Amino acid sequence: MNYKLVFRLMGRLLLMEAALMLPSLAVSLIFRQGDTLAFLEAIAITATIGVLLSFLLKPERDDLTARDGMAVAGLSWVILSFFGALPFVLSGAIPHVVDAYFEAVSGFTTTGSTILREIEHLPKGVLFWRSFTHWIGGMGVLVFTLAVLPKLSGRTSHLARAESPGPTFSKLLPKMGDTAKMLYALYFGLSLIETACLLLAGMNLYDALIHTFGTAGTGGFSNYNASVGAFHNPLIEWIIGVFMMLFGINFAVYFHLVRKEKEPILQSEEMWIYLSIVLVSTLLVTVSILPQYGAFFTALRYAFFQVTSIISTTGFGTTDFNLWPLFARALLLLLMCMGACAGSTAGGIKTSRVLLLSKSAYRDLEHTIQPRKVAVVRLEGKAVQESTLAQVGVYLSLWVALAISGTLLVSLESSDFVTAFTAVLTTLSNVGPGLNGVGPTENFAAFSPAAKLLLSFLMLAGRLEIYPILLLFAPHVWRKN
Amino acid sequence: MRIIIIGGGKLGISLAHHLVDEGHNVTMIDRSETVVQKSMDTMDAMFIHGSGVSANTLKEADVQHTDIVIAATVSDEVNMLACLTAKRLGAQYTIARIRDPEYLNTLSFLQKELSIDYAINPERATAREISRMLRFPFAGSIETFARGRVEMVDFRAAEGDPVVGIPMKEMYKKNRQLPQVLFCAVERGTEIIIPKGDFIIKPGDRVHVVSDVETITRFFTALGKGMSTIRSVMVMGGSKIAFYLVSMLVRMKMKVSVIEVKKDKARRLADALPGATIIEGDGTDQELLESEGLADTHAFITLSDRDEENLMAGFYAAQRGVKKVIVKSSRDTYSSIMHNMGLDSIISTKAIACNDILRVVRSRSSRANAAVERMYRLMNGQAEALEFIAQAGDKYIHVPLKDLKIIPDALIAVIVREGLVKVPFGNDTIEVGDYVVVISRKAGLSALGQVFR
Repeated sequence: MNYKLVFRLMGRLLLMEAALMLPSLAVSLIFRQGDTLAFLEAIAITATIGVLLSFLLKPERDDLTARDGMAVAGLSWVILSFFGALPFVLSGAIPHVVDAYFEAVSGFTTTGSTILREIEHLPKGVLFWRSFTHWIGGMGVLVFTLAVLPKLSGRTSHLARAESPGPTFSKLLPKMGDTAKMLYALYFGLSLIETACLLLAGMNLYDALIHTFGTAGTGGFSNYNASVGAFHNPLIEWIIGVFMMLFGINFAVYFHLVRKEKEPILQSEEMWIYLSIVLVSTLLVTVSILPQYGAFFTALRYAFFQVTSIISTTGFGTTDFNLWPLFARALLLLLMCMGACAGSTAGGIKTSRVLLLSKSAYRDLEHTIQPRKVAVVRLEGKAVQESTLAQVGVYLSLWVALAISGTLLVSLESSDFVTAFTAVLTTLSNVGPGLNGVGPTENFAAFSPAAKLLLSFLMLAGRLEIYPILLLFAPHVWRKN
Repeated sequence: MRIIIIGGGKLGISLAHHLVDEGHNVTMIDRSETVVQKSMDTMDAMFIHGSGVSANTLKEADVQHTDIVIAATVSDEVNMLACLTAKRLGAQYTIARIRDPEYLNTLSFLQKELSIDYAINPERATAREISRMLRFPFAGSIETFARGRVEMVDFRAAEGDPVVGIPMKEMYKKNRQLPQVLFCAVERGTEIIIPKGDFIIKPGDRVHVVSDVETITRFFTALGKGMSTIRSVMVMGGSKIAFYLVSMLVRMKMKVSVIEVKKDKARRLADALPGATIIEGDGTDQELLESEGLADTHAFITLSDRDEENLMAGFYAAQRGVKKVIVKSSRDTYSSIMHNMGLDSIISTKAIACNDILRVVRSRSSRANAAVERMYRLMNGQAEALEFIAQAGDKYIHVPLKDLKIIPDALIAVIVREGLVKVPFGNDTIEVGDYVVVISRKAGLSALGQVFR
């Protein structure tokens, strides 16, 4: 690993993080709830270390191998979360370091699981930062760094690739910097539209921003204990529901939309499958919970909100779905594992991977009937490389292995299997709430520090699609070259 | 500029690297998934897997908004068709690599009919450069400017040469008989230096001088490097370059023999080149070389497709005392090794093609007047020699050079006015229509105006 270059990169990243804390500092100055000093200290510490790292070391070479790029992506998220936890600890909002780290990881990875039992009494600046981490983490910090900073190294595209979810990575524009700028412009634009909608629906600006951050990053932190349910406003629930669905769509679709290119959108198989799954699941859940609510439109509203919240891996809540019939809960659990489209801000295994797996399973089935038939798996009208299919299979196995071994470890201290299992699934998929002991009205405070660190690891693994985080444990990566 | 490169072979990849470095938006199309995968990691460009003649692939690469399409696949026909398709789909400018001798006579007709804006034949250009090098055996390379009136020649300074050990400013006071040429660049080790008045040439330096053709010739005669003429040439490898080269050399009344290992290829060459002796055999076989008279030949040129074979055969010939050895190598890393081991004349088809296309891209991307007309890159691009034609309306016209601020690390080497070549001094001016040759260590100059601050 080219240490000097990596340190320099981390330095730039910390400087960036310090700058990203400024809006929260401004919020704390407006509301004056005693968290201003904490932000000043956090910014000072982060910026100082950032300056030291980025200006003291002069790398001799500016090359970064693909393997190093992956590991750097993993490392930067670990470090970012660490410094992101500073405002929580320094303000006394979350005194315990492990708790604060869990909360910061949950923020950056856009999970939305919390260890806080009581949210509403926290200072507004801290809550703003907590939700802002969702917005930063949604599109990716490295992508952001690539977009605004002059190029650090000629070979940065694998950094962005490590951070952007999906089985394959494709640039929208020839230059990485331009692609990153374009993605952030779309992200920003869509967020702006949502904030405007929420303001029109009657939210105040602060709440509107907090919930936009939560939706855009598909995170799910709210500033109310009852989440979106606290507003008792069906219009707000529909708006957030629709936007959760929209942020689960591949951003390339919006890119083509802006450029008025019809064909690629019509051809986007993944998006159409994703939207159909949302539709069908909403209807199924509606039917399943209808007896509980009586009125069809009430049931439909709750069903749509919960389905989009879970499939987009956001995790906002309007009601306690832990009380729903088993079928509805089981369906939500499946959606939780699948997640939304590749190239969006959502987590989970991703619709395109599920699609590829089902297609290759179907082909193999066909193959047993007609062994000599040559068949090609296609996605969005293009033949998929066999190597890509193999990678998708391996990815799924790794994902399942993490889920199983995670459950095993968490069950050491949990008395309920469903709690342990869904706690692992929801963190690995970056959703937020699980079932039973970690259900929508519960939280993760009861876990031991060791379990919290394990769950933080799973959140990072889920957000970065496993490899960048696993690579950090490979001694080979740390060897000097 | 938005540029599409079709074909990720040696030329395509090398071009893409240079163009990305110069800040262009590059999209590469290749039919091989492995090429796409490999390059994606190392280059900030977009890669599309597909065929460059397919309209769908070209549309995916956004051809309708593209400024330049460069077709550089192995097949001439694919290149031509790709350019035609791209142009019909809305590309602004197309460049095709067409190198098969079959198309030589119909090229201008094809270019017009297929809307190819610029056709390059790197093999032929390479052959032309080699034939030039044979006329001046003492030189490592010869580049021409101002329609051939000006030449830039490099030679290796040796112990005892009258130019060694004297500061530049006293060069012509000490050597009164020496014809006045301009010392424009010196390669020392891995460094390239634009010499100033205090600079002293050391033995082993590769010195580039520039002047008009006649002065250059007299300069080398005065140096004692003379014009030992080459009358017999042995060529190893019957490639396309060999075909173009041998036809040129035969016209120059030289005695040429070509060694080609493949029987059918040798037969085809014998048919096409009746003036030359074609030998079927392995050019790396030393016994064969000896029996065909290597010791008596004046020049040995290795043109096989394998760099390593060229290199070994080249070393052998040099060791056997052949006066002029020219080695073809497309790998940039080899050339410094070869220079260190005493082989000065290295020629790279890839570099020749690359320089030519880069120049076209630069002159098209420059909106300013007086865009670059010719360009050569020295030492893998550490310095560049560029030719411009001064245009009316630019600020530098008719201003004495001493009143113009030239950017650091650049040098105005010669000015050619109405056929007269002049090494400029402070009181000289640049006038409309002058050819101006500039040597610069700053890469990426695309117009004459950029030379002045």
